[in-house]
Parts: sequence; structure tokens; C-alpha cells
Amino acid sequence: MAKVAVVGAGMTRFVRRAQETGRELAWQAARMALDSAGLTLKDVDAVVIGSAPDAFDGVHMKGEYLSDGSGAWHKPCIRCFVGGATGVFAPIQGWYHIASGQFDTVLVVCEEKMSSTYPHPQGAFITIFDHTTERALGPNLLWIFALEMNRYMTVHGITKEEIALVAVKNKKNALDHPCSQLQEEVTVEDVLNSELLAWPVNRLDVSPASDGAAAVVMCAEHVAKRVSERPVWVEGVGWHLDTAYWTNRDLYYPRYVEYAARMAYEMAGIREPRKEIHIVEPYDPFDYKELHHLEGLLLCKRGEAARLTADGVTQRDGDLPVCPSGGLLGVGNPIAAAGLMKVCELFWQLRGEAGKRQVPGTPRRGLAQAWGDLMQVGTVIILGV
Amino acid sequence: MLERITNPEEVRTWSGAVPIEHVYTVGVAGEVFFRAIKDRGRLVACVCPDCGTDYLPPRLYCERCFAKTADYRDLEARGTVHTFTVAHFDLDGRRLATPELYAFVRINGSGGGIVHRLGEVAASDVYIGMEVEAVFLPPARRTGSILDIAYFKPVV
Ligand SMILES: [Zn+2]
Repeated sequence: MAKVAVVGAGMTRFVRRAQETGRELAWQAARMALDSAGLTLKDVDAVVIGSAPDAFDGVHMKGEYLSDGSGAWHKPCIRCFVGGATGVFAPIQGWYHIASGQFDTVLVVCEEKMSSTYPHPQGAFITIFDHTTERALGPNLLWIFALEMNRYMTVHGITKEEIALVAVKNKKNALDHPCSQLQEEVTVEDVLNSELLAWPVNRLDVSPASDGAAAVVMCAEHVAKRVSERPVWVEGVGWHLDTAYWTNRDLYYPRYVEYAARMAYEMAGIREPRKEIHIVEPYDPFDYKELHHLEGLLLCKRGEAARLTADGVTQRDGDLPVCPSGGLLGVGNPIAAAGLMKVCELFWQLRGEAGKRQVPGTPRRGLAQAWGDLMQVGTVIILGV
Repeated sequence: MLERITNPEEVRTWSGAVPIEHVYTVGVAGEVFFRAIKDRGRLVACVCPDCGTDYLPPRLYCERCFAKTADYRDLEARGTVHTFTVAHFDLDGRRLATPELYAFVRINGSGGGIVHRLGEVAASDVYIGMEVEAVFLPPARRTGSILDIAYFKPVV
């Protein structure tokens, strides 16, 4: 398979309400990614846009809407969409655009403007549920995830205190991120005492709603070697779909993440992920999801992720740094852009450019993961130098 | 299989809506554009310093070369009818009591234009190439919306 590299990355600040339109945010991130690669639009052969539900921005066919700000004028362009998993799927799509041999250089842009939905983006989520069996109950994602969190906690005997440590860690890491929406350190007590949204989910267990964009530039090997002194290679990709009949799953374990991870590990030739992955950016819209996903990624045994967290293993200077960026819980969660932010973070970390967030010990390989649709899609990308 | 259902109640149905409301920002370039409409009754254009492409409504960046645009300038809200149509039905397929005239107006002195209503003219008198100008609402009633322009009318 043809080798594919990431050679540039960029992102906007993540904020609660941006004055910029979605396409203006997309341009800021895309331009920054190109500038960081020392390339211009003329060097770009094709564009991949990732954006989650149209309902957030309030623009149907958001791919077409974002195309100008994403550099797609007079170029082949496609928009991908797998809900929350979009931000990691978009670079996977960029990868196969290039691995196929069709394109040499692809600009990948992810954007979400969630502040447009009024009064709150949760209102848009009701439309993803089945219109006859579920929507009549008025579900929102908070209580859907509360069901999953409760199941996860109960099966493994994990406490809310142990889970809150994830929120504490990620929000602290985000203090070092110049694009971060949240700028406050919190304690376990703060998390437990924050407003109860849907038991067992309190407000600080959840990432904020955000506006923002992120972008990366991907190249074929022969281009990467010419334009970049430090290309970061795509070593593995994986994606997987479980049943959308979520009453047919046991919610305590994300099987779809495991299968996506196995696909990526096989491609990367990884046999012992816990030893061979040096940085992890799992999807963390809720604090328990980081733990859930670490288990699905086979980076620890089922039910063990909470202990790794308590032991400090997942701290930035720990043995397995998890969400050194600050994650969605800290940096913010403009859905698709948040997933791609994780890929940007790996790019900066693996090149030693993460500044105050730099993980010590020259990490050589990182993994980013996202998850979405009706909680049953897993997307995984492994980058290495 | 191609039977047409004329009464939806004859099959088991479920009625529902996709009830989502939005609050949009006009953006960085949009802010300049709509302030000029509201405060001065003018349209604003800008230009790409790299390739010279002209944008009306103004854009923050040039989509062709990604440069930040410059030279924001006021233009009179006058132009020519690039093309037009006469609408006889509304969005829900109901016949309009009065047909409505819509045109794409190329604004003089710019490479861009806007789509808007035509007024003070009979459909039979409109032609492509006709010179038109915007009729603005009185300043006190303007809100910074594209509907601060009531319609375009022929220049007499
Ligand atoms: Zn230009």
C-alpha cells in the first residue's frame, strides 16, 4: 500500500459562540494547516470535508456550504459524515484518497458550529432517534449516555469519583492548549458537586458545546519527502460499525471500537498495543468514555482503565499519556473538529512541537479514536514517525 | 408498488416534526456587509489582493487562493438584471394570489451580485439587462437583514 503522511496541521480556537461563520472557521484552520506545511491551495489535488449533523450549523448539505472555506474551489471534494466519529474518519478518507494513487496531496478540513442550534444543540439530537419507538419519549444524548455510563459503572464496580479523575486530568491538560475553550482547573469534588444532568452524569462529566474547525494536509510519500523534513506517517486506519439496534448490544463495552482498533493494529503491524502505542487520544465527550474507549482499544483489560487513571499512568508524564491535548472535556467539542483536533495533537506531539503539552520521552507512535452515529461507530488512526 | 397514496390516513402513519431552531451569526465579512445596508443603505464589495477576484457580498477570504480579502468599499445598490423568473407557487405548492418576481441582480462596479425581489414593475416589462436599483426600508425599520432591501425597481 502506498505510504501516506501528514505534513501540516491547523485549528481555530474552540469557543462557545464564534462570530465567524462556519465557512470562515474552516478557512482559518485550513489556511493554518497549509501555511504550516509550507504549501498553498495550488498544491492541493483534492479536499475532504468532515462535519457532523447538518442540524448543528443549521445548513443542509453542509459539505457544499463549507467547500469554499475548505479550499475546494475547482477541485474534487467529498464530505464525510459518521456522526461523532467523523473527525477521525475524515483523515482516514484523506488517507485512501492518496493510498489509492489517485491524489498526491489532500486537504482535510473538519468544522462544527454548534452554537447555531438554539437554545441548545441537544435539541438537534432528538431527530437522530427512531421516530416511532424512541422520539416520543423526548430522549436527549445526556440521558442516553447516562444509561451507558451506569451500565459501565455497575458491571465493573467503578465509582463516580474514579471516573471524575478523567475530567480533572483532561481539563488540567487543556490549560496548556492555546485553543482551549475551558480555562479552569477542577477537582473531583467540583465534578461530583456540579449540576446533576441525568444520573450518573453531572455537568463537569461532559464536554462543552463548541464552535471550531481543524485541518490537516496529507501527502503521498514522494511529495512528503520533498515538502516536509518531518512527515508523520499514517501507519494504520480502522473503522467499524455495530448494530444501530442499541437494545441488542451490551452497553458496558464498545465492541465497535475494538474491531476498528484491531483493523488499525493489523495494518500497523502492532501486536502489543499497550507497549507499542506511546500516546493515546481517545474520544472523550464524557469522562467515562475515555475509560470505555481505552478498554475497547485493548490498551488495558476491561474494567481496568479507571485504575490506570487513578495510578497516574494516563497523565501527560505517565507511562501511557491519554489526551495530552486536554481532549474534548478540556479543549472543547465542536464535534467533527474535535476528532480532527486529536489527530492534529498527535502530529504536533510526534514532531516535538506540542510546547507546554509535549509528552516527555520522544514518543514515536500515537493513536487517535472517535466514536459516533447512534453510539455504534468506531474510527481509529495510528500515526508514527 | 407505484400506487399513489392520496389519503395518508389510510396507512398507519405517525406524524412528527424536526423541530430545530437556529441563531446564525453573519460572520466577519457579513458584519461589514449588513452594517452598510442598515446604516448607510449601501452594498459592500471587497477584492482578493492576490488574484483580483471581486466579491459581493464580501467574503473574509478568497476561495480561489485562500488570501485574506481587502479593499472593502461601498457601492450604490444599483445594477442590471442578469436573469429573472416569475414564481406562481409557494414553497408548499400552493398557487400564489399574486405571482412574485425574482431576479439575480449584478451590482454595478462589482463582480458579484445578489438575488432579490423585483417591484414597481410588471412581469411583462422585465427583461435581462434591465437597470435596477434597491429600494431600502426607512432607516428606523432596518434590522441589518437582507430584507432591509424591500426590492429592486427599474431605474427611470
Ligand atoms: Zn484570490
